[in-house]
Amino acid sequence: MAASAPAAPRTPYGRARLLALGRATKPIRDASGIARAMFWSGVAITFFFIVLAVFAPLISPYNFNQYKSGGIRFPQLGHPSAAHWMGTTVQSSDVMARVIYGAQTELKVVVIALAMSLTVGVPLGLISGYFGGILDRFLVLIMDALFAFPYLLIAIVIAFLLATSSIGGGILTAAIAITAAYVPLYFRVVRNHVISVREEPYVDAARALGARPRTVIRKYVFFNVVQNVPPIATLNAADAILLLASLGFLGYGIQPTQGAEWGYDVSRAVSDAASGIWWTGLFPGLAIVLLVTGLTLVGEGLNETINPVLRRRRFGRFEFEPVPGPTEEAE
Amino acid sequence: MTGTSLRTYLITRLALVLPMVFILLTLVFLLLRVAPGNPIEAALGGHVPAAYVHQIERRLGFDKPLITQYGDYLWNILRGHLGTTITDNRPLSQIIEQNGAATLELTFFAMLIAIVVGVLVGLVAGRYRDTPLDVFGRLFGILVYATPVFFLGLMAQLVFGVWLNWLPTSDQASPLTQALLQTHTNIYFIDAIWDGNWGALWDVTKHLILPASTLGLVTAGVFIRLVRVNVIRTLRDDYIEAARARGIVERRVVYAHAFKNALVPVITIVGLNLATLLGGAVLTETTFNWPGIGHELVLYLENRDYVAVQGIIVVFALVVVAVSVLVDFINAYVDPRIRY
Amino acid sequence: MARSKLRWLLAVLTVAAAATVAVIVATGAYGSANGAKSGAVLVDGTTGTVVNIDPANQYDYDSFTVDLNIFQGLYGFPHGATLQPVLATGCTHSTNLKTWTCNLRHNVKFSNGDPMTSADVKYSFDRVQKIKGDQGIYTLLSYLKSTSVSGPYTVVFHLTAPDSVWPYILSTNAGYVVDKNTFPSNKILANTDTAHMIGTGPYVLTKFTPGQQAVFGLNSHYWGPKPKNGGLIINYYTSSATMKLALQQKTLDMAFQTFTPTEIAAMGKNKSLTVHSGHGVVIRYLVFNVKRPPFNNINVRKAIAYLMPRQTIATRVYHGTVEPLYSMVPKGLPGQYDAYKSLYGASPNLAKAKAAMKGLKTPMPITLWWTPTHYGGASSDEYVEIQRALDASGLFKVTLKSAEWAQYSGALGKVYGAFQLGWFPDYPDADDYTVSFYQTNSFYNNGYSNKTMDKLIAKERAATTDASRYSYLKQMQILGAQTLPTIPYWQGNMIAVSQKSVQGIDSTLDAAYYMRFWLISK
Repeated sequence: MAASAPAAPRTPYGRARLLALGRATKPIRDASGIARAMFWSGVAITFFFIVLAVFAPLISPYNFNQYKSGGIRFPQLGHPSAAHWMGTTVQSSDVMARVIYGAQTELKVVVIALAMSLTVGVPLGLISGYFGGILDRFLVLIMDALFAFPYLLIAIVIAFLLATSSIGGGILTAAIAITAAYVPLYFRVVRNHVISVREEPYVDAARALGARPRTVIRKYVFFNVVQNVPPIATLNAADAILLLASLGFLGYGIQPTQGAEWGYDVSRAVSDAASGIWWTGLFPGLAIVLLVTGLTLVGEGLNETINPVLRRRRFGRFEFEPVPGPTEEAE
Repeated sequence: MTGTSLRTYLITRLALVLPMVFILLTLVFLLLRVAPGNPIEAALGGHVPAAYVHQIERRLGFDKPLITQYGDYLWNILRGHLGTTITDNRPLSQIIEQNGAATLELTFFAMLIAIVVGVLVGLVAGRYRDTPLDVFGRLFGILVYATPVFFLGLMAQLVFGVWLNWLPTSDQASPLTQALLQTHTNIYFIDAIWDGNWGALWDVTKHLILPASTLGLVTAGVFIRLVRVNVIRTLRDDYIEAARARGIVERRVVYAHAFKNALVPVITIVGLNLATLLGGAVLTETTFNWPGIGHELVLYLENRDYVAVQGIIVVFALVVVAVSVLVDFINAYVDPRIRY
Repeated sequence: MARSKLRWLLAVLTVAAAATVAVIVATGAYGSANGAKSGAVLVDGTTGTVVNIDPANQYDYDSFTVDLNIFQGLYGFPHGATLQPVLATGCTHSTNLKTWTCNLRHNVKFSNGDPMTSADVKYSFDRVQKIKGDQGIYTLLSYLKSTSVSGPYTVVFHLTAPDSVWPYILSTNAGYVVDKNTFPSNKILANTDTAHMIGTGPYVLTKFTPGQQAVFGLNSHYWGPKPKNGGLIINYYTSSATMKLALQQKTLDMAFQTFTPTEIAAMGKNKSLTVHSGHGVVIRYLVFNVKRPPFNNINVRKAIAYLMPRQTIATRVYHGTVEPLYSMVPKGLPGQYDAYKSLYGASPNLAKAKAAMKGLKTPMPITLWWTPTHYGGASSDEYVEIQRALDASGLFKVTLKSAEWAQYSGALGKVYGAFQLGWFPDYPDADDYTVSFYQTNSFYNNGYSNKTMDKLIAKERAATTDASRYSYLKQMQILGAQTLPTIPYWQGNMIAVSQKSVQGIDSTLDAAYYMRFWLISK
């Protein structure tokens, strides 16, 4: 049980929480060497894109579908130049503006998708794993069926279906499509972990003491299990960006008038590329690679630090207490 | 409950397959019938008057109640009648034979490349952990994984196809070769060997290189990470410590003991990543004009040809389920703790 | 011992792999040196999809392009855009234009040696009407009551109503003559059934791989002039970019249908390729549901007609591969008249647009619908330009919406107020570009019904001389421009790209829009 809690029988709730947080992040602060470098460089890259996304209107010289400035139209498929650092597209929009606003679209979709997947997947996994029974069997069946299926196909079918409904093509549709593909994963991971945790003695003891299931889950199981989620969540965020780009490439993603999306831009750039026009596809493509790499580095770094199999502790100098009495020469 | 016989496990596992497939089939049916637009309108709308369109729809049974259509659908699948597509009059069996074979050819060679590259880099990275080799290996793995397969394909086409003009950028074979090739298995690589047609074999191989490498590289990224973790985990195991303690040379420890055991889960990894591979195959097929079944699925979906989409997804589901059962079975065979 | 076994296994695998690679490379070098003689076979690329090859159930251009090589009808367009008898030697009609008697050419054989007689012709027409294929081609024969024969070389068609354009109908694939011995009378042949797909055309279908290739050999029994090449392969692509790369790498001799405007512009600059361009018959137009607000107000439609940025679309979006269109009938067809130019001017006119919208609340919010892939990727750019032009006038605030073709084509006027459509003719005559759009209950459900127009249509169909027919057609075009159910804006060129060494393409680019592969050599 909470052996390291202060001796006083009732700890102020807030302080207990802070201590728990400190315990949770200790592995990260302890990380050494490569894992640390990976983690922090990944954080830097991701942070860069978050800044781009949040401050897009301030950073970007033009709007994502702006085709003229001061009454003069932009050149169509113009080379990178002083006025347009990354050139222009076939619709005379600025490529750099579309890359920057694209960061906004990508992050919006991924955050919404992640939030939805977690909100649906984690509780389902908790309940299913803790209570077991018919509900568990049924959910496992459905989730396994979906889990084995290629993510892309699930997402395409959902996006296709929703695009024709009242929600229309757009950020929400893409987010829902991605959620559908990832809920089974969170469900599975959380459920498996809950199953192994619920047999632990301290959980048993709590149940024996008469704690309600809700309390047991909240106080003991949840925090234990949720530690697993961040590395998976970041790796899934990386995956989700790729999935969104793929949907955009196939034409099932965001409509071009609603926002800039990197995958869609690459799909339009395919015909340009064969004609020697490289800038319309290279920059959005590199943006995808960079952001996904950043998120993956964060995830990998987290994995290295939290996963005890891979963890490497940083050892400080170990000081032996001075032994009173005979000197060290003694036997 | 350990100690169940392998046979019981297999039967239980297979029994669970049926509900899984049934659920997938129902989902597919609902999704497609519920979506507005149907293939008749897609084909005829835009130049045929509405009265005729309705006439044809009625004749094809589009106006029957949903339950009846669902019943017909299930009954047909049970009998193995996957039907004929509406938009281009192809029997489903033909689509599976021809396009399925094309996807099989592509994914097989892609998987081969993924395994070779992934395992090699993963082994090296895991063995020499935290050295520059490891860092480069991991970065390489992350970068190829982060590159969308369509972007990598596009770059590959540009570099090797257009600028260097070394390799063809689309199709399974050049037009004349394809026209003259006798099809036995629909896998062109095998068909060329079957006929002793060496010119065709060379042609087919050239056409395989770019698509298979693109898909293979992107998948290798996943393998690198998994193999590396396995190698690290294995190198920490007690029996490795014991081997070292017994004084066995490090190199032998690594090669003879650690690597062998780190590779055992590769089968599982391959099976689990089949889904990823099939998904990536769709994008690769689109980029390289490879006539695979994933690509056909996307095209038929656009045209609301639900007969085609249903049939293809049924096949996909069965393949995925079969592979996952096989993987579970092999795992259970190797590790008795896993059985139910 | 385990270790040496492992090493031995590894060694064997490496040697085997190396050997395989060596063998493949070596035989490849040998193989390509003695490779199959490509000789005179023409290789063509296209991004289309073949639906059905059996002429009784196809109604799309890509299937039609395949059929053109294998089948023929009583009439056709062997050279240029003038209708000429092909399998017939001529047709005469009764005064009420309801009975047509056609004499057939003698000594025509099918590609399997069977002689072609009037029985085959009757069989073919009966077949189309009996099968009523779901692609809807039988609707073109809606005037046909029955077909009868009178001797082995005479066919008589009995129509339900006067139809001055009946010979044009005979030139469509609804009128293709098939071999009664090989085609079943009540069902469609599968596309891969090349043994039974027998016609009288210059080529024979020897192999069909769906979605990939159609292979044609020469018809040894062909009654006409020998094709200028030794055979034909049509290669199917899903993306024009891959097709362009294949053309650049010389995998293809030529490509027809459909490149993006950017690709065409780039290929124009390529020294080893030639871009061939001729008058086309494909048009694009904006349709209004004239019963749905705000488009039910004719002044709104007039304002849009005054503002339509035809030139911008033609140059910026399509790089000159299309030309501005001022009538539903494209230039190049007899009887064409630029009705929209004379009524609304050749270029956008802001003052007149403002005048038309006087008294209405501006900027008026309107929604325009378009479809992303069916008409090519440039549709997006096209509608963005229209949006920009209308917004810039200050009179409108445009919202663009799109839907995939499968859903779009079923909705059209039923759901949308203003939407994009394209038209590809059943037969290259002004009749096909007017009646289809202007009749009451037209296919796009836009609620348009004009009694004067209906009367003109009836008169045109019953016209006995060309001169009177064209005069009715001109009146229809003017009335259409005045009442504005649609606004046409461009007409596409017929474009094919080929290696520099390929000859003969220019001779087949005309308003008939037939790709006559038998005239092309390399």
